[in-house]
Amino acid sequence: MPAVIRWIRSDLRARWAQCTATAAVVAGVVTALLLSATLLASATNPWPGLFAQTRGAQIWLRLAAGTSVAGLRSRVDGVMAVAGPYRVAPATMVLAGVKAPVQVRAMPLAQPQVGRVLMEQGRWLDRPAPDGVVLEASLAQAVHAAPGSRLVLEGLDGSEVPARVIGVAATSDQGYYPDVQPGLMWVQRALLRRVEPVAGHTEEMLGLRLASSAQTGFVVQQVVTQLGSRAVLSVSTWQDVQRSMARQYPLLGLLLAVFGLVALGAAVLAIATAVGGRVLAQLQDLAMLKTLGFTPAQVTGMLVVEHAALALAGIGVGIGAARLLTMPLLHGLPGLPAAVTPLPAGWAGAIAGGTLLGVAAAAALPSWRAGRVRPVAVVRYAPPRGRLSWLARAAMAARLPAPIVLGAHAAFLRRMPALLTVAALAVPMIMMTVGLGFWSTLDDVQNHPADIGLAASVTVSPGAASPQQARRLIAADPQVARAYPGVRATALVPGETSTITTLGMGTSARPYPFHVVAGRLYRAPGEAVASQGLLDALHVQVGEFVRMAVGGVPVIFHIVGRIIEPEYGGQVLAYGMDTLSEAGAAAPPVFYSLVLRPGVTPEAARARLLRASGGRLDVETVANPADQLGVVRLMMAGLLVVLAMTGLTCVFTASLVGARDQARDVRVLRAMGLTPAQVRACLVTRTGLLALVAVGIGAAAGLAVSSRLINLGAQAYGIGAGIGRPPSAAALATAVILAVALAGLVALVPSPQAASSALTADPALA
Amino acid sequence: MTSAGLAPGDGVLLRAAGLTKTFRGDGVPVPAVRGVDLSLRHGEFAAVTGPSGAGKSTLLHLLGGLERPTGGQIWLGGRRVDGLSEARWAATRRRHIGFVFQFFNLVSNMTVADNIELPALMSGMTRREAARRREELLGRLGLSGKAGLPPARLSGGEQQRVALARALAHRPSLLLADEPTGSLDSAAAASVLGLLRDAHADGQAILLVTHDARVASLAERVISMFDGMIADDAILPAMLEQAHALPSVLKLKG
Amino acid sequence: MRLPLLALLAKEPAHGYELKSQLERIFGQAYPQPNVGQIYVTLQRLERDGLVRGEHVIQSDRPNKRVYELTDAGRAALASWLEGPSEGQRIRDDFFMKLALSPLCGAADRMSLINRQRRHYLSLMRGLSRLASQSDRAAVIPRLLIEGAMLHLQADLDWLERCQQELV
Repeated sequence: MPAVIRWIRSDLRARWAQCTATAAVVAGVVTALLLSATLLASATNPWPGLFAQTRGAQIWLRLAAGTSVAGLRSRVDGVMAVAGPYRVAPATMVLAGVKAPVQVRAMPLAQPQVGRVLMEQGRWLDRPAPDGVVLEASLAQAVHAAPGSRLVLEGLDGSEVPARVIGVAATSDQGYYPDVQPGLMWVQRALLRRVEPVAGHTEEMLGLRLASSAQTGFVVQQVVTQLGSRAVLSVSTWQDVQRSMARQYPLLGLLLAVFGLVALGAAVLAIATAVGGRVLAQLQDLAMLKTLGFTPAQVTGMLVVEHAALALAGIGVGIGAARLLTMPLLHGLPGLPAAVTPLPAGWAGAIAGGTLLGVAAAAALPSWRAGRVRPVAVVRYAPPRGRLSWLARAAMAARLPAPIVLGAHAAFLRRMPALLTVAALAVPMIMMTVGLGFWSTLDDVQNHPADIGLAASVTVSPGAASPQQARRLIAADPQVARAYPGVRATALVPGETSTITTLGMGTSARPYPFHVVAGRLYRAPGEAVASQGLLDALHVQVGEFVRMAVGGVPVIFHIVGRIIEPEYGGQVLAYGMDTLSEAGAAAPPVFYSLVLRPGVTPEAARARLLRASGGRLDVETVANPADQLGVVRLMMAGLLVVLAMTGLTCVFTASLVGARDQARDVRVLRAMGLTPAQVRACLVTRTGLLALVAVGIGAAAGLAVSSRLINLGAQAYGIGAGIGRPPSAAALATAVILAVALAGLVALVPSPQAASSALTADPALA
Repeated sequence: MTSAGLAPGDGVLLRAAGLTKTFRGDGVPVPAVRGVDLSLRHGEFAAVTGPSGAGKSTLLHLLGGLERPTGGQIWLGGRRVDGLSEARWAATRRRHIGFVFQFFNLVSNMTVADNIELPALMSGMTRREAARRREELLGRLGLSGKAGLPPARLSGGEQQRVALARALAHRPSLLLADEPTGSLDSAAAASVLGLLRDAHADGQAILLVTHDARVASLAERVISMFDGMIADDAILPAMLEQAHALPSVLKLKG
Repeated sequence: MRLPLLALLAKEPAHGYELKSQLERIFGQAYPQPNVGQIYVTLQRLERDGLVRGEHVIQSDRPNKRVYELTDAGRAALASWLEGPSEGQRIRDDFFMKLALSPLCGAADRMSLINRQRRHYLSLMRGLSRLASQSDRAAVIPRLLIEGAMLHLQADLDWLERCQQELV
C-alpha cells in the first residue's frame, strides 16, 4: 500500500500538467452541471428560494372581519412572527376586456417584516399614486398586465373603480394564478375602501411565520382552536403553495439535461483518451512495477484510484466554484423567478457521484489493459502497422511535402486511440454546432420577432379614451407602420372540457401577419389558423374543420394553416374579426396590435403614444421570449467553454501519444535530412489532421441535426416546429478554424516526456 | 543475511526439473528452453553462459515467474511455484526475488530514492527502515548525492548500479540478473561487479546470465547453456590449483 | 627473454641480478620471480652472439659480478625489434588438434572436451580477476597485461562456443 501511494505521488508530480488539465476538465463539467441543475431547480421549484428571500409565512389564515388576534403569538407555540392582519376584499379585475377574480389586499406603504414582496417590475405602493395597484407576478402574466396598464376593479356591489398597475411583484404567500384563484393584488387602504365600502364584506388575512416548518399542522390546529372554527374561513399552508408553484419546464429541463449529460460524456471520453495515452506512454514503467511484484489487480487499481483522486479534486473545485458563481450568475436574470432556490443535496450528490463514476469508468478500461501488460522488461513499444495508410498514400500521390505525408501516416497509425480521439473531439463539436444553431435561432427571434408571430411589438387598448380616439391617435402616429385591430375571445373546445383563447386579429382581407409554417393564412371569414399545441390538443390537422363556442355562439372554423405563437401556452386559434361578426358572436372591445417602423423601439413608441393621448391610452410592449431565454444563452456559453476544454485535453493527449510514437523516428528522420522545422510540421500535421477529421464530422453531424433538434424542442414546448435556424456560416467556420488551429498549436507544445524519451538511448531498438 | 521464509533444511533455495518453454509465434513454435534441471543453494553464486539464442534469458525469466513454463516444475524454498497465478507470483517476487535487467531497470517517473525504496516498502519494511536501507546502499555505491534525481539524469553505469541497489533493497533470497553489465563501459562494469562480489560475500544467492567470461568467472559455479539445454554445470576449481597455472599468463619470448 | 633484456640494458649497463630486480619492478605480479639462472644463460648467449659485452667487476666487500652492456650490434637488433610489427599470439592449436582428431581416438566426445577446456579457461579467468584486484592501482603495466590476457581468454571462450555450434 505505501508503495502504491509512493508511485501515485511520483506520477502526479511527474505529470502534473496533464493531471491538472484532467482535474480542471472535471471541475468545469461539475460546475456547469451544478449551475444548470440550480437553474432548473429554481425554475421548477421556486418556492424555497422565494420563501427565504421574502421571509415568508408558512401559514396564511383568512379570518372573518373583526376577529381578534391579539396575543395569538403568546397563546400558540411555535409562532415566531405574525404578518398582518391585512384587510382584504374579493373583486373582479377587468383589463383589456379580460376579467379575472382577484383578492384585493390593503397593505401599508412600508414593506412588512414578515411576508414581504419581491418587486419584479415597477414600484411598490406609494402616496403619489393612490390608484396604483401592485399585481402578483403570475396574475400579471396571465392578464398581460405591466406597469402602466389600466384596469377597472368591480366590487361586489357592482361599483367600478378605475386603477392602474404600478408594479408587479413575487410573493411566497400563495400559489400561481390561475391554479390558485383569486389572484392577489395589493392596494392602499383607501383604494380598498372605495372598492368595498361595506366593512362586513371584507375579511382579514393573517400570516404566521413558524420556528420550524414541520410544526405547521400542529400550529394550525392550535390556532383554529384558539380562534374558533367560525372565525377561520380558510387556511393555506406552505405545502399548498409549493405544490402550486411547482412547474414543469420541459424545454429548459430537457435542454439542460441533454447538454449536461453530453458534456459529461464528452469529458469522460476526453479522460479516457488521456488515460489511454498516458498508459501507452508508461507501459515500460508498469512492466517494471510488475517485475517488482505489483499484481495486475494492484496496477489496475492504482491507476483507477489515481484518476478517482483527480476526479475528487476536480469535483471539490467544481462544487466550490459553483457555490461562488451561483449568486452572481443566476440572481435576477430575466425569465427566472426572482429568488434562486438552493440545489437540493440529492441533486448535488447525484452530480458529484455521477461524475466520479464517469471518470472511474473512463479510466477503467485503459487501466485494466495496463494491468495486463507483460512483466518482462523490454516492452516493444512499436506501432502496430508498418505499411502506409491510405491517407498517407493519397497524400504522397498528391505530391504533398514529406512532413505532411508522414504526419498523415502517423495520424491513424493506432486505430483505437485515433478513433477515440476523433470521437472525443467530434462530440463536443456536434454540441457546439447545435449550440451555435440555438444561438442563431435566438438571434433570429430577437431580431425578427415576426418569424415567431410577434410582428407587433406594441399593443394598445383604448383605456380611458374612446375607441375612436384610440384609432385616430394610432393612425396619426408616424412611428406606427401598420395597426391591426384585434379581439380576444374565450372559446369552449368541443367536449366542453376546457376553454382556450381565440384571437380575432385583423380582418380576413387584411390578416395579422402571423408566421405560417404550414398551409396558409386565413383569407375568408370562417378560416382560421392554429398553433401546434392546439392542433395536438384537439387532434385535428391543417385542412380540417373544428366547431367551437365563442362567447356562447357556436362557430365552425376551417383550419387552413399552422402558425407559431409563443404565448397563450401554445394553444391559440386566430381568425379575422369579421368571422365573429358574421357568425353573430358579440364583439368585445378591441385592442390594436401595432407593427412599428424599422428602427423604432417599442419603449419609444409607447412613450409617444402615452404622451399623445395624455396618459389615457393603455399601451403595452410585447415581451420577446428571446429576452427571457438570455439565461439559457449564458448556460450555453458556459457549457461550450467546458466542451472546448474537454476537446483541448483530448488534443493535448493525442499530440503526446503521437510525439512519443515519433520520438523514436525523429532521429532517423533528421538523419534522412528533415530539418527540425519539418519534424515539427510532421507533428502538427498529425494532430491537425485528426482534429480536422473530428471537427469536420462533428460540424456536419451537428448541422444535420441542429435545426431538427431545435424544432423538436419548440414543438414539445408548444411553440411549434419551424423556428429552428442553422448556425451562422461565419460562426461555424470560425469555430472549425479555431479548433484545428488550436490543435496544431497544442501539438507544438514541447512535451517533457517526449523530449526525454527522445534523448534516452534505446539500444534495444538501435 | 536472512532469507526469511525460505529456509528448508537441505539448503536448496531454487530447484527446477524438466523446465521447458516453447514460444508460439505466428506459425513456427520456437523451443527456447528444452528440459532444464538445475538447483541453487542458499548463498550460492552461479553464472549462466552460452551463445545468444541459447535460452539463457528465457530460463531466467521462467525462474523469476516472468514467463509461464510450458512444462516442468520449479520449487522456490521448497514450495512449488511454477503453477502460481500471476498475482501469487507477484507476491513471491515481492518478498524473495530481486531482478536486474540489461536495460530499463528503473521507473522513469520516480526519483532514484523512490526507485530503491519501492521494493523495500513492498516487502513490508516501514518507511523509516526503507529510507535507512536506501541510504546505506547509496552510500556503498557512492551515489548518495543523486538520491533526488530522476533516472534520466544518471549515466548508464549509474543507472545500472542503482538498479542493483534496488534489487537488493529488500534483502531477497535470490538475485536474478540478466546481463547486468551488458551495456556498460569497463569502469561502470567494474563497479557493478564489485557490488555483486560484496553481495555474494554477504551471503546473497545470485543467478547471473552473461556472455562476458570475466563476469562469469566471478561466480563459483558456471552453467553453460546450448540450444535450450544445459551443456555443462561445473564448480570452478578452487584457488590452490589456480596458483600454478597463473605464471603462464606472461610468456616472455625471446 | 633476449630482446627484453637488450631493452633493459639500453638504459644503462647492469649485471644479472639487477636485471632480475628490474623485471620484477616493471612487470610486478604479471611476472613474479623471474628465473635468475635463465637470465644468466640468456646473457651468455647474447654475449656469444655479440649483442652484449660483459665485463668483470671486482668488488671488495662483495662477490665479483659480471656487468653487461649493449654493443652496437645489440642496439641495432633492439631498434629493428622495436620498429618491426610483432606476431599475434599463436592459436592454441594444441586444443584444436584434440578437438579435430578426437573422433578418431574414440577416447573422449567433443562436448566433454569443450566443457573441460571451458572450465579451464574460466578458472584461469578467475585467477586473473583475482590478480587484477590484488595488483597495485598505480602499476599500469601489469594491469594492462592482465587485461590483455583476459581479453584473449574471452576470445578463446567465444571461439569455443563457435566450435560447439559447428561441431557438436
